[in-house]
Amino acid sequence: MKNRIWFGIAILMIFLISVPFVASDYWVTLLTLILIFTVYAAGWNLFSGLTGYTNFGLAWFIGVSGYVSSLLIADYGLYWLFAWPIGATFTSFVSIGVGYILLRIKGVYFAISMVALTEGTRELFGTEYLSPMTHGGKGVPFVAGISLSTLYWAILLLAVITLVLCYKITSSKFGLRLLAIREDEQAAETLGIHTTKDKIIAFVLSAFLVGLAGAIHFTYQNYIDPSFAFSIHLTLTPIVMTLFGGVGTVFGPVIGATLFTFIHEILWAELTLLYMAIFGGILMTLILFFPQGLLGWMKERGILPRIRKI
Amino acid sequence: MINFVEIFIRGLMLGSVYALVGMGLTLVWGVVGIVNIAHGEFVMLGAYFAFWVFSLLHLNPLLSVVFSIPVFYFAGMMIHKRVTERLVKEQELSALILTFGMSILIWNLAQFFWTNTYRSVAYLTGNFPFMGLVFARSKTVSFGLAVGITAALFLFLKYSKWGKAIRATSQNSEVALVCGINTIKMRALTFGMGIGLAGAAGAIVSLQWVIFPQMGGSYISKAFAIVVLGGLGNIHGALAGGLIIGILEAIVTQYLSAKMAQIIPSVTILIILLLRPTGLFKK
Repeated sequence: MKNRIWFGIAILMIFLISVPFVASDYWVTLLTLILIFTVYAAGWNLFSGLTGYTNFGLAWFIGVSGYVSSLLIADYGLYWLFAWPIGATFTSFVSIGVGYILLRIKGVYFAISMVALTEGTRELFGTEYLSPMTHGGKGVPFVAGISLSTLYWAILLLAVITLVLCYKITSSKFGLRLLAIREDEQAAETLGIHTTKDKIIAFVLSAFLVGLAGAIHFTYQNYIDPSFAFSIHLTLTPIVMTLFGGVGTVFGPVIGATLFTFIHEILWAELTLLYMAIFGGILMTLILFFPQGLLGWMKERGILPRIRKI
Repeated sequence: MINFVEIFIRGLMLGSVYALVGMGLTLVWGVVGIVNIAHGEFVMLGAYFAFWVFSLLHLNPLLSVVFSIPVFYFAGMMIHKRVTERLVKEQELSALILTFGMSILIWNLAQFFWTNTYRSVAYLTGNFPFMGLVFARSKTVSFGLAVGITAALFLFLKYSKWGKAIRATSQNSEVALVCGINTIKMRALTFGMGIGLAGAAGAIVSLQWVIFPQMGGSYISKAFAIVVLGGLGNIHGALAGGLIIGILEAIVTQYLSAKMAQIIPSVTILIILLLRPTGLFKK
């Protein structure tokens, strides 16, 4: 059984790595988007799915890291390979401060504070005071000089690392502590868990992974501006994906990201103007009628074993 | 000096409207236990309500402020009975994500049907001088309306039978239930009132600023900053918080820029949560 699974994973990896050699650019682009959103969704799930603290500021991670790395590439001519981790590291450091302030108190405060923070940062990046640095509202076009297939392999590597990390964390003691926070934070604290510290670690880890994917995302787009970088769409879509796949599961975000990137492709082409409304409606429906998600449902029905590692 | 008094009064006028939005949010939060992220979207809908009533029916915009309260009250009650009541006993996370989805659904639909055009209600334009200061007529009238609605809300909560029942539900829902208060009804009522306040605030907003489908985002940030300032569920705190945010915004707009004023809510939230997470005022 175990050998079979490893064999399957090996086949899948060989297939994914060889895609740029065999498939057309359209499919490589599509897979790149799927992988970017996989990292977003898995990163959101890593913190929010495990601790139960809803992060409505995913776009903030993406935007801050995207901005730092884009500006480094555009204005300072830094090589993309160095710009990406610098952007993500910067985001992680800022998130330590934000997490320290917002994660000491109850979850609801955290959720809306992140909305306000994203809103505020978007405005801040467009103000005349930061314009010399951020180019204000008119945005930053840039060319990173990276080929589509290199970009694809980079995001593939990141997605694999993210998933392995999520897998390791959910089956570790650290993951158990995070779950304990979700179930009953007071009880967890009484049992000797340093809840604030664990929450901040998970938050910063999520910020780093999502930030790195954000930097790659904007390199792929070759353009960044405040309303695009901090767009609510970047927060909403990964949450919908995770909820559909199953909150707190390891592979739920992957399934959600794959399915919804295709749905996105169709909706974006056919119903651009109603795109967000449809996603908002799907989100409400999922919460009301399908809160456990696909993998959660399959575990309940006994189709999948009831273990945290899936 | 005169200049500073003028800025202060301008801030108070702004703040009175923000307070309406913030009080609605904190009321629903405290009594129903649901944080309504779609609250800002109801402000936007209120503004469009006033706009369409004015441009299609040619009704006096001041009347539409009054009409918006019952209309949004009943809409809010229906939404609560059909949708959000199911989530009262669930984890906070569920209600948050649901209202987040609702917020996006509403503004995108508004954008789809009414387009992104900036609109405004051209009524009560012009200024009038008063004691050496100059005031915009629309803002002064708005201020009067906001103060009137706030006073009515306070009197209702303090003296009416329902108001007392709502406060009891807010303090302890289970004991209130044992005492014979229909808490399900009170939650629906409160949700309706919160939405009614948001709608009225929106109708007032349409008198003085341009309106557009995505305006709700800035109002939810402000409303949340107000709730954090005043303390969760604290109506008096929300009133004070609204005025504080309004005055801060007037000062920053005057001395820095209008764009910088937009980041006040996030900065306020971070500072208050860092220094005094229970809010400035004791409940």
